[in-house]
Amino acid sequence: MDIFGSFALLLAFLAAAYAFVGGIAGILTRRALLTKSALNAGMAVFGLVTLAVGSLEFFFFTDNFSLAYVSAHSNTALPPFYKFAALWAGQEGSLLFWSWLLSIWAFLALFLNRKKHPELMPYVGVTLAGVQIFFLTLNNFVASPFKVLGGLDGSGAMHVARLSEGSGLNPLLQYPEMVIHPPMLYSGYTGFTVPFAFALAALLGRYPGEKWIHITRRWTMVAWCFQSVGILLGAHWAYAVLGWGGYWAWDPVENASFLPWITGTAFLHSVMMQEKRGMMKVWNVWLVFVTFMLCILGTMLTRSGVVSSVHAFAESSIGGWFVGFLGIVFVVCLAAWWKNRDYLRSDNQLDSLASRESSFLFNNLILLAACFAVLWGTLFPVLSEWVTSNKISVGPPFFNKVTIPIAMFLLFLTGVGPLLAWRKTSLDALRRNFAWPLGSGVVAGAVAFASGFRQFYPLICLIMSVFVTLTILAEFYRGARVIAARDGTNLLTAVGELTMRNTRRYGGYIVHFAMVLIFIGIAGSAFNQDIQKEMGPGDTLVIGKYTILCQNFDQVSNNNYQSERATLEILRNGRSEMMLYPERRFFLASQVTETMVAVQSSPLRDLYVVYAGRSPETNKPVIHAYLNPLVKWIWFGGIVLVLGTGLALMPNRRAALVLRPAVEASWGDALAQGAPGSPAPSTVVRRSGAHD
Amino acid sequence: MTSRLRHSGVVRAVPVAVFLLLMLAPAIHAQQTERAKRLGQKMMCVCGCNQILTACNHVGCQYSHAMLKELDDRVARGDSDDLILQSFIQEYGQTVLLEPPAKGFTWLVWIAPIVAPILAFFLIWQLVRRWRRRAVLAPAGGPALSADLLDRARRESDKEIDE
Repeated sequence: MDIFGSFALLLAFLAAAYAFVGGIAGILTRRALLTKSALNAGMAVFGLVTLAVGSLEFFFFTDNFSLAYVSAHSNTALPPFYKFAALWAGQEGSLLFWSWLLSIWAFLALFLNRKKHPELMPYVGVTLAGVQIFFLTLNNFVASPFKVLGGLDGSGAMHVARLSEGSGLNPLLQYPEMVIHPPMLYSGYTGFTVPFAFALAALLGRYPGEKWIHITRRWTMVAWCFQSVGILLGAHWAYAVLGWGGYWAWDPVENASFLPWITGTAFLHSVMMQEKRGMMKVWNVWLVFVTFMLCILGTMLTRSGVVSSVHAFAESSIGGWFVGFLGIVFVVCLAAWWKNRDYLRSDNQLDSLASRESSFLFNNLILLAACFAVLWGTLFPVLSEWVTSNKISVGPPFFNKVTIPIAMFLLFLTGVGPLLAWRKTSLDALRRNFAWPLGSGVVAGAVAFASGFRQFYPLICLIMSVFVTLTILAEFYRGARVIAARDGTNLLTAVGELTMRNTRRYGGYIVHFAMVLIFIGIAGSAFNQDIQKEMGPGDTLVIGKYTILCQNFDQVSNNNYQSERATLEILRNGRSEMMLYPERRFFLASQVTETMVAVQSSPLRDLYVVYAGRSPETNKPVIHAYLNPLVKWIWFGGIVLVLGTGLALMPNRRAALVLRPAVEASWGDALAQGAPGSPAPSTVVRRSGAHD
Repeated sequence: MTSRLRHSGVVRAVPVAVFLLLMLAPAIHAQQTERAKRLGQKMMCVCGCNQILTACNHVGCQYSHAMLKELDDRVARGDSDDLILQSFIQEYGQTVLLEPPAKGFTWLVWIAPIVAPILAFFLIWQLVRRWRRRAVLAPAGGPALSADLLDRARRESDKEIDE
């Protein structure tokens, strides 16, 4: 079975190589059959990588510990759910998983467009195959998950060793979110390959107009949504499992996932400039190139350990491969752009600074500034050691200081953008649209200030959140009021009607609202409290309005782990409210001890309790309690974000058919005269999704 | 016999003993004062876990317990914040500081995220000026319209599009 998997991977590599070489040959020789066979080979990669993945999963589910990868990441007692997820528990499996997801995206992109865009698809196929070749090279020749245990014996013959038991899955990964988080994040990383392939293809093939943007709009949104969900699930996993009381530590791997999300967000906004006004063509192409390169960089930072240990970079062959690939991608993108830059020439015009266009320009500037700041802080330790030979750390305080002001300005623009019209907004309209949302925000801020909230950024965040929420509500209200008045329906029905008529616009507003919820949740962290105390039975600890009474400590054991557990009674204002049981578990198979956090979560605050360990001096258990306000808003914001994106992906309910006055006249004349026939189709303007 | 032995208390006691040993191993030091906690949040645990010193819950960490205890002792002794941080830098190297100092080469880490957006802003400003000039130069057809009239037309067209 290991040979089966290896062969499937090798064949996948060959198929991708054929899709690449055959595709280029097909383009150069203009032989349609060659091109078609290359595209088919591109689709076949999916089937072959699927066979390899299936083969590896077979090893996991049959507890066959003859493969090094399986024995290192599974054991017999591991629940099937986690045996499946063990596929991406280590380096080799993760890279195979990357290839598999990429092959799914590539297959879908090629299959769904197989009868469309005949001039564009050969280039798309070649680009996708090029990326696949890189990852399949890693899977086959650098980090194969099908390495068997054993080696050569005295006579030079190969023997395969098979262990009776594996080392087990890292307990940190034995958590339901860990089964969902990597597929989501990797789907985001790999998903951005599709818009990248279409952008590069359009540039190389000088494909006319903005078509590549229309084709990839939904692909980009889906990839962006996966990336968002992946990041949020990762944050939730860190919060619920790692036991340090937070959800985001500005760790290089976290930052790596955040970078393409930022540029992807910028891209989703700036494409509208090209769609509506034919502007920013070069910018959009480079944004999607950079997003893809940041996805590769993110995968490299995650898999190679380049930042957490600078020396690991030189030792890890995988890092070198990624750097090489990134270099090639950059050179190809640069050459493609340079050679075809005249194709991207656009007639950029800006009628007014107070316009939707300029708000998008600033939105992009701010997002790119955030991206640069995070990338700079993440890679600076490497740069510093390279230049000065001094190791330094760039930790959360740096990232918080640099990114929070940027984030506040971005939140402000989230409110401003929708209020500005395309081309030009008059001062009067600005005053009318801004006055009451911004005024309400300031009033809310003043009330909070008077109530004792004096921290600068949370106050700004509150003002901006109220402002943005009200502008979004006003947008819904204005549109719905017109529909309600015309159709005689109630306002709520009209809101539904309005939303379904332009899903992209109103779905986008819901995503903006989700961002407000997430920002509020993050702002809550300014009011976090924590306290650590050695506690014996009967001891108490006070945090906020809560008193934690230690009732006792006991031990629990089963086949998977043994644990020491605290039984804590939580009292609020002197009244017993709940029991919490934080634990430390010792997992028998992996011989690893882990923290099991106890959290009481409510929309206003989380009481987060950790059994931190024992004091070496007194041998007493140490309890670390955190009171984290508003964390739940972040997770709720994530759900709203998915709903908003889902809505934006839906087709508009119906296209509005608008007759031009001249045509109406001809209709009228035709009807009056009783003439047969209908007006020419070209006189009917279809306005589906006309206004975003 | 082997099977009976496997289920006997003797064999079971081995992992339990290992467990208890490891359970006792994660030594943790509860911070004594708010000042020590504040200073601890300016430093990083040097065990490689990449966590803030006061947040390091890395099992088997050989550093955080000793570092936190040393921090508590120095605070209790009345050392100034600067002296404490400098002594930690001397002992564990510059990596112990979560924020690189704004001097020498590490000044760049602070200044670049400020300078880069400002430069980008001026670039965009130049671009906007050029684009605006083009818009002004573009020939305008039809009679001149007042700003009020234009605004009214835009409002009505927005309303119509919304419909």
